[in-house]
Amino acid sequence: MLVIRRRAGESFLIDGNIEVEILEVGSTQVKLGIVAPKEISILRKEVHTTREQNRAASREISILELASLADKLHR
Amino acid sequence: MHFPTAPKMPHILTKYFGSIEYQEADVVRFPCGLPAFEQETEFVLLEPPSSAPMVFLQSLPQSSLCFLALSILSISPDYSLAVTAEDLQSLQLEPGRQPRIGDEVACLALIAVAENGRITANLLAPIVINRLNQRAVQAIRIDSSYSHQHQVAAPTEDVCS
Repeated sequence: MLVIRRRAGESFLIDGNIEVEILEVGSTQVKLGIVAPKEISILRKEVHTTREQNRAASREISILELASLADKLHR
Repeated sequence: MHFPTAPKMPHILTKYFGSIEYQEADVVRFPCGLPAFEQETEFVLLEPPSSAPMVFLQSLPQSSLCFLALSILSISPDYSLAVTAEDLQSLQLEPGRQPRIGDEVACLALIAVAENGRITANLLAPIVINRLNQRAVQAIRIDSSYSHQHQVAAPTEDVCS
C-alpha cells in the first residue's frame, strides 16, 4: 500500500486525471474532495461491498437446497 | 340466496412458493431500492413456518428475485443498530436516536449461500423496516463493527466414501 502524508488543503493525483484533495481533518474523520471524469465510479467501500453481497444473496437456490437450509440453521 | 362477497386478495408470483395471496399491509417499500437492485422498491415479506427461522423478501414485480433473510437478533442477540441520519429520514423515523429493534423496526440480515454450502449473513448492511409505515432501507453501517460475511453455517463437509 502506498502511504502519503498530506495536510488539509493539499491534494494528490491518480493517473493524472483524478484529483483527491484533503478538505478538512477532524479528530475522527477526514473530509475529501474528489475531482474525476464522469465515467469514473466512486463508491464508499461499504456500498460497493453491499452491492456485491446483494448480488451473491440473489443467487438462485434449488428447492432441495432450500429445504436443507432450514435444517442447517436450526442446528 | 345471497353470499357475502369476501374482498379478493391480490396474488404474488413467488420464486420459491408459486403463486400466493398477500395483503397490501405486507408490502415493504424501499424508496431507494437496494444497492445493486435500485429499481426494486416493492417487496413482500414471506414468513412460511416450514422454513423458519428463514424469511423471504420477495420482489413484488419480479418473481425471480427473492432474498433469504434471518432476524438479526437470532444471529446476534445484542446487535446494535447504527442507522445514518439519511436512512432514518428515508424511514420517516425521528432523527438523533437509533430505533428500537422489535416494536419500532424489524431488522433482518440478508443471507448468502455459497456453492460450498457456507451460509453468511450481511450484518454490515441490515434491512430495517419501520413497523408503522412499512418503509424500509438497507442501512449500510459506516463503522466496521460488523462483518458483511458473518458466518452462520460452515461449508458442507465433503463426505468421504
